[in-house]
Amino acid sequence: MAVGTIIIILVVAVFVIFAITAYIVGMFNSLIRLKNNIKKSWANINVLLKQRSDELPKLINSVKGYMKHEKGTLVELTKARTSMLNAKTISQKADADNAISSALKTIFAVAENYPNLKANENFMQLQNRISGLENELADRREFYNDSVNTYNIRIHSFPDMIIAGRMKYTDEEMFKVSEEDTKDVEVNF
Amino acid sequence: MTDIIEMFIWTLGFFATGVFLFWEGIKLLKQKRLIENIPTSKIRSLAMGLVEIYGEVVPAYKEILKSPFSNKDCVYYSYTIEEYRSSGKSSHWVTVENGHNEQPFYLKDDTGGVLIDSKGAKVNVSRDFEFNTGFGKKTPDLVLNFLKSKGMSHKTLFGFGKTMRYKEHFIAPKDKLYIMGTASDNPFVEDGTAKNNVEDIIIQKGKNEKMYYISDKQENALLKEIKWKMLGFIFGGALLSVVCLSIILKYFDLL
Repeated sequence: MAVGTIIIILVVAVFVIFAITAYIVGMFNSLIRLKNNIKKSWANINVLLKQRSDELPKLINSVKGYMKHEKGTLVELTKARTSMLNAKTISQKADADNAISSALKTIFAVAENYPNLKANENFMQLQNRISGLENELADRREFYNDSVNTYNIRIHSFPDMIIAGRMKYTDEEMFKVSEEDTKDVEVNF
Repeated sequence: MTDIIEMFIWTLGFFATGVFLFWEGIKLLKQKRLIENIPTSKIRSLAMGLVEIYGEVVPAYKEILKSPFSNKDCVYYSYTIEEYRSSGKSSHWVTVENGHNEQPFYLKDDTGGVLIDSKGAKVNVSRDFEFNTGFGKKTPDLVLNFLKSKGMSHKTLFGFGKTMRYKEHFIAPKDKLYIMGTASDNPFVEDGTAKNNVEDIIIQKGKNEKMYYISDKQENALLKEIKWKMLGFIFGGALLSVVCLSIILKYFDLL
């Protein structure tokens, strides 16, 4: 075989090996990034959950004088807050978060029955602040679920599944919103 | 003999170009994966770090930039002035002047707006203006004024018109943009004074993340474009290098 032919074969081989290596390294790094994205987006949810938990005692204090007939809801909210602070797993946090969101929905809906409460500036500020945090939480939950979905699809797709299998990557859990929380709150006037 | 040496140098140049294109293709593969991996954030709930957003451009200042050739309102523009030159048997376009200018702007989606500092971004927006000079074609006054401001002339020493090409890209208010960049603390807002989280955030080139990309395409269209470009660069670059190498080896009678 001519020297030139050997050189060309070698150069083609270098290109092919380099492309394959870059593809595999890219796939590996990409899976690590996806996994870290999930961790980061979960941490970003936690920041907001903490901020909202910090606002809840203030909210309870500002409404308890007015909502004497809704003591049950306030107790539920306090319990849900405690569960949130003690929650360790994603599903425990999701359950506590759903309970808090549900109790808050009820409180804000029932507040319509109390004109004095609606006129309270402190309550209105808290309501706006908590509603803002709820909206941001909804966005970040969606973002978290998108990150998990991208990761879960990737680790089951070929050829990523080969590397994901070797890295012992398994499905991550989505942040589920309960059926109940997607319904509107019924308020009896 | 000179012709052969010139051809050899060109071939060597094309070989290096092929390797460069191949490398650029590998970089595009990395970029494509990054875009695929990061979900689009809603602006009101942006978190610090590398983010991907999509929204509409809203100027941050009343005094807005004007694009140099078409005098349109914009928050970013880039331009290129090329001249058609001939040397020996070959003729080609040569860039004689290029530049860009930008000012911070807001990107808004249905949840809120965030400040964007496009400095250092790789801006990929479609061409908004192109003018090629030619027989019977009058060069627009705005272009002539711009050339004058830069101390350039579109005529040769003997007063003949040069063959020129003027190109302009810009980002105008209400343009829809895809941005992947780093969300950081907004230096224009004092800590603790922001009404909401996003007010205290600015999107800019990150210190650790090299990726800062702005495009007027939606994510899917952008990914498709990157994919074809990447395949073209990887395979085209490798093929170009191998073909050039064959010519070089033939030159040395090794093939």
